[in-house]
Amino acid sequence: MIKRTARALAYLVTGPVAGLAGFLWSVVAGVLVTVLAVTQLGGPVFLGAAWVTRRLAAVERRRAGWVLGAPIASPYVPVGGSPRERVGAVAGQPATWRDLAWLFVLLPVGVVTGVAGLVIAVVDLASIAAPAWAWAVPNPNAPFPMKQLLTTVPGRFGLTVAGLALLPVAAWLLRTIAAGPARLAAALLGPGEHRRLVERAARLAETRRRVVDAQAAELRRIERDLHDGAQARIVAAGMTLALASRKLRAAASSAAASSASAGSALASVGAGPAEINISDFPEIARQASADLHDSAATSARTARPGVGGGQLGARAGVGGGQLGARAGVGGGQSGARAGVGGGQSGARAGVGGGQLGARAGVGDGQSGARPGVAGSQLDARADVELARRQLDEALAELRRLVRGIHPPILTDRGLHAALAALAGDSPFPVGLHGDPDARYPAAVESAAYFVVAEGLTNAAKHAGATRGTITLDRVADLVRVTVTDDGRGGADPDGAGLLGLRRRVEALDGTLTVSSPPGGPTVLRAELPCTS
Amino acid sequence: MRIVIAEDLVLLREGMVRLLTETGHDVVAAVGTAAALLDAVDEHRPDLSVIDVRLPPGFRDEGLRAALRIRAADPDAKVLIVSQYVERAYAADLLADGRGGVGYLLKDRVTALDDFLDAVDRVAAGGTAMDPEVVRQLFARSRDHGLDALTAREREVLGLMAQGLSNSAICAALVLAPVSVEKHITNIFAKLDLPPAADAHRRVRAVLTYLNAA
Repeated sequence: MIKRTARALAYLVTGPVAGLAGFLWSVVAGVLVTVLAVTQLGGPVFLGAAWVTRRLAAVERRRAGWVLGAPIASPYVPVGGSPRERVGAVAGQPATWRDLAWLFVLLPVGVVTGVAGLVIAVVDLASIAAPAWAWAVPNPNAPFPMKQLLTTVPGRFGLTVAGLALLPVAAWLLRTIAAGPARLAAALLGPGEHRRLVERAARLAETRRRVVDAQAAELRRIERDLHDGAQARIVAAGMTLALASRKLRAAASSAAASSASAGSALASVGAGPAEINISDFPEIARQASADLHDSAATSARTARPGVGGGQLGARAGVGGGQLGARAGVGGGQSGARAGVGGGQSGARAGVGGGQLGARAGVGDGQSGARPGVAGSQLDARADVELARRQLDEALAELRRLVRGIHPPILTDRGLHAALAALAGDSPFPVGLHGDPDARYPAAVESAAYFVVAEGLTNAAKHAGATRGTITLDRVADLVRVTVTDDGRGGADPDGAGLLGLRRRVEALDGTLTVSSPPGGPTVLRAELPCTS
Repeated sequence: MRIVIAEDLVLLREGMVRLLTETGHDVVAAVGTAAALLDAVDEHRPDLSVIDVRLPPGFRDEGLRAALRIRAADPDAKVLIVSQYVERAYAADLLADGRGGVGYLLKDRVTALDDFLDAVDRVAAGGTAMDPEVVRQLFARSRDHGLDALTAREREVLGLMAQGLSNSAICAALVLAPVSVEKHITNIFAKLDLPPAADAHRRVRAVLTYLNAA
């Protein structure tokens, strides 16, 4: 309590001095900056004056914080760039002008509160010390209470008692008076609404950047998962089918040879396919037994005994494969993750179908229906081929899907190479200008890629362009990609494609501008901020 | 034929090993990284390397770069790139030196076993094998490359030639007499300004003309 009162007193007493210094400085600085504003020195002098003002404000902040018992945070927003930009940024900050306002206000406020504080402190201390000095000022003409108090010994000690009694009141008054300018200082010199908004915006920008980065990483992960998971499994299944098909063919030719010769033809035919069934389809058999609980399985099982049944089984199995492949593709389109699962189960179902077909055919051979052996093997072979082609289609579909999510070449070689590929794929000649080695954040590259892809597609599809240009450059923290074509123009900026692009670009805090007057040319430009 | 395989996915690597082994080839090494591939090629000097474009650690185009290094170190080395997607830029990189002994196939084609084995033989013999998808991309924008001068039949022939097929294979594919195929090819070379004296790889050069025109 004593400490805080002492601080308040010290604050009040030094107030007029600080006020005078602040006032003088603001006048000098104001004149200097105003006079030199017309010369080359204007900028540097302004920055220097602002620097000094900020130091003074910092002292004031510390003084006021001392009284308030809590430090006052600094309100300044960091600035950078060229001197000219810094002058603008400093002048644009409300904190700069609030500092100046405080330096002006400090003089009257400091003088008034300083005098008031001083008077209170002096009067109370003097009254406590009355026995020590009152005898020196005998005043017989003083009015009633003062005469008794000042001229008699009991009166002087009475003053001391009264002074002591009023000491807490005086201390409270001092603290209260000091709190006034200190609060004003906190309000003027502390972080204002501007600073809070700037901080909030910075926080929001940061969280958005993280979200965007996470999304870009997620897309790449999905692409990788499709590549290493679904696609690889389908290819692997295709390889197994290829081997199966090859062996079926070999078996068929050996069956033909053995049926032509007499003797133990039946046994050899029986043994051949049986071997295929067990040793050549280990993966297939495993997958099929695990996955195929559907009608294809049932029909194949029931159809097993007869020759016709074998063919039926083969068809049912392949039908399952077709269904599976389609399910995989459909799932892929409706959602990337669904696509992975769908693709995989599609591949498995397809393989299972092939296997059932093959096994059904083999079953005929074993049942001893010799004339049916070659026929149903041929049939199974055709079905294996069909399943293989269906897997190929599923792969092609998956590839298209991956390209739509995140083109692999973007990961492999960066934006410039990916744009070169787009330019190359375009049905009309497209020039590409830009730095081939520059790499940008993944989200920026992917957004720029899709802007160009959409631009070129539109130019080819709707504008009838015969020539185009892609320009990729970087201006300070901005990556700018421009697609120009000489088509007939008239693109609708609110069309579905461009609207989707705009959302994508705006999610990165970028802008997309479309200029497409009727008759052309169309200029599609995306500007994407890119800090790093 | 002695073959080195570089593929990071075990499932596919084993599949390819099995496929090539069962079709009478000798897989002398099957590795999962570009560094291991370079070592294996150094050690075994295979007749052919079958390489996936994407390999660890970056999973970008390490395989392709390794292939180009192998070719730079040993001009006689034969490489067949397999990938799950086609990029014309990769095909152009492979063909850039204008020599044969390179191939670029979609992994899908591996499952068309006979075509794949045919491509393996062709590349090992110093020819080329380009995926039909690459060739399709070339022809997708054929308007501006002077391909207009070609007749429909010549384009068809060029398409097959670009894939790396030999004259006799083209004869078989298009059901044409050898003489007429030769005539078409002569016309194509003439229209593309590839003089007969150039070298043995005019076929590669014809493809390259389009790749570089993009």
